[in-house]
Amino acid sequence: MTQVDDGVPALARLPSGIAGLDDILRGGFLEGGVYIIQGSPGAGKTVLANEICFRHAAGGGRAAYVTLLAEMHTRLLQHLRPMAFFDESVIPDSLYYVSAFHTLEGDGLKGLLDVLRREIKGQRANLLVVDGLVAAQESAPSDRDFKKFIHELQAHASASGCTVLLLTSGLLRAVSAEHTMVDGVLELEDQLFEFRTERSLLVRKFRGSGFLRGRHSFRITDEGVKFFPRVEALFASTSRPQVLRNDKIAVGIAGIDKMLLGGLPAATTTGLIGASGVGKTTIGLHFLSASSAAEPGLMFGFFETPERLCLKARHQDLHVTSAIERGDVEMLWQPQRENVLDELAHRLIGAVRRRKVKRLFIDGLGGFLESATSPQRVSRFFSCLTNELRALGATSIFTMEVPEIVGPVVKVPFTGLSALLENLIFLRFVERGSSLHRAVSVHKVRDSGHDPCLREFFITDRGVHVGEVFSGVEGVSTGVAREPASAAAGPHPPTPGV
Amino acid sequence: MQTILVVDDELGAIEVVATALEDEGYRVLSAANGRHGLEKLAEGQVDLAVIDFMMPLMDGAALGRAMKEDPALRNIPIIMMSAVGESLIRERFSGYTAFLRKPFRISALIDTVRRVLT
Repeated sequence: MTQVDDGVPALARLPSGIAGLDDILRGGFLEGGVYIIQGSPGAGKTVLANEICFRHAAGGGRAAYVTLLAEMHTRLLQHLRPMAFFDESVIPDSLYYVSAFHTLEGDGLKGLLDVLRREIKGQRANLLVVDGLVAAQESAPSDRDFKKFIHELQAHASASGCTVLLLTSGLLRAVSAEHTMVDGVLELEDQLFEFRTERSLLVRKFRGSGFLRGRHSFRITDEGVKFFPRVEALFASTSRPQVLRNDKIAVGIAGIDKMLLGGLPAATTTGLIGASGVGKTTIGLHFLSASSAAEPGLMFGFFETPERLCLKARHQDLHVTSAIERGDVEMLWQPQRENVLDELAHRLIGAVRRRKVKRLFIDGLGGFLESATSPQRVSRFFSCLTNELRALGATSIFTMEVPEIVGPVVKVPFTGLSALLENLIFLRFVERGSSLHRAVSVHKVRDSGHDPCLREFFITDRGVHVGEVFSGVEGVSTGVAREPASAAAGPHPPTPGV
Repeated sequence: MQTILVVDDELGAIEVVATALEDEGYRVLSAANGRHGLEKLAEGQVDLAVIDFMMPLMDGAALGRAMKEDPALRNIPIIMMSAVGESLIRERFSGYTAFLRKPFRISALIDTVRRVLT
């Protein structure tokens, strides 16, 4: 037990050792507590409980895994063997598998309790898993007997300091005796979203401690189970206080930095909005190529591979490859597959923390949106994510693709987006005469003035070059430039910079 | 007819092993843990014990040691079974005649039993 200031001993924790789960549980299970882990078959209960056992054993603890099911341990261990956490050397000394199916069949709950008690003592286990609680419930002559069994198990667990995990298939009633009696209830679910599924955890109850409420995604891979605490819950408050700064971070394109009166305000978030092919990624590569040991850069992209991006940068004489070689820039590519929204966020924040990233280029927002199974949470998700990035001191640029190549309307990806971003830069194709031109405009910059003009820009073999203000035409922001009515009859003005 | 005692906490494992041995003409007794196993051994003549290692109440090592300490049982050969490797088992009990790693094929079981009983 841990002693706290007022002299009252606080309950010690038994960490699960599972990535993300201890964040959700604020440090792990409470020692001597009894917890139900429920979920339908295939939800991941058995893998989770086994990984907790193996990690507990790896950390020097002792665990007993008692199954009440007809399933054979041999088969179970065969299924676990390919997983990274499986370590046969901890069996049987630190992790012991037994079946109490026979005992339950022959001697009922009394016999089962005797087996569990003896296993805790005999194996000197400080973690006990009982797989198949539903079998015990079915064999109970009455609800009262089952309640008594839970109560006695709880008393024994508490007295011996052994944490008990009871696995059940989720067929128990929503508010049943065992739910009210145990110290916590964790519910696993594998939910179908049209064609894809996503696993999630909901902590329904956790006595004696705060926890992260709501659903949290998790994955099961050969590496084991990994939880991704929901960003809105984990970063409801940022991990460190946000410090408002007055310095600026140059984008690395002279003309755009001039429009921004020196660059982007440090530790802010910028939306770089425009159609496909207008030059968003190229501007991002400029931003990254200005990275240094003092301002490490990170490219977090979904669409183009790092190799392709390096090639693109080389074609425009941008020194991204050398920055990568120096360790000033890292590229993290997220192949477009069935990504988990919170997993992406954790990977991003992990990389920003790891390298103390100051220049963050995310290409682009659409990669996150496509991973979201619940559109309702997107706005709040980005709010918390960008707050955390600011708190970490990263100056971030998100690209946002709009579907219209040319046209009067620009649709942002979701409502409220512009309010989340301190700075907005629009890139547009502009039809003028019979050719397409590119225009850049700064729509807002946090606590700073900026050049409000629409300027033409060019993508050259030396990168992006910003030209003059579109002059002699109007309607540039609609995507179709036209001569003002008063000048229509006169001679054409010269085309700037072309 | 030779008698074989099968001790395993997993009902499915007992059924598979017992059926295979009965098909070969052996008489089979079964027990769900070491303590029940000792009770069965006390009841009468057993020619071979096939014992699972990890069991509740009394494990395979404890049962094996108890047999070796009992003059009436110490000469009964033991085939130890386990889902984990033999080196991990041998550290806790080495007084068995043969080892079978689970899962095993019926033919491997029968071959091992024949070899031990001849």
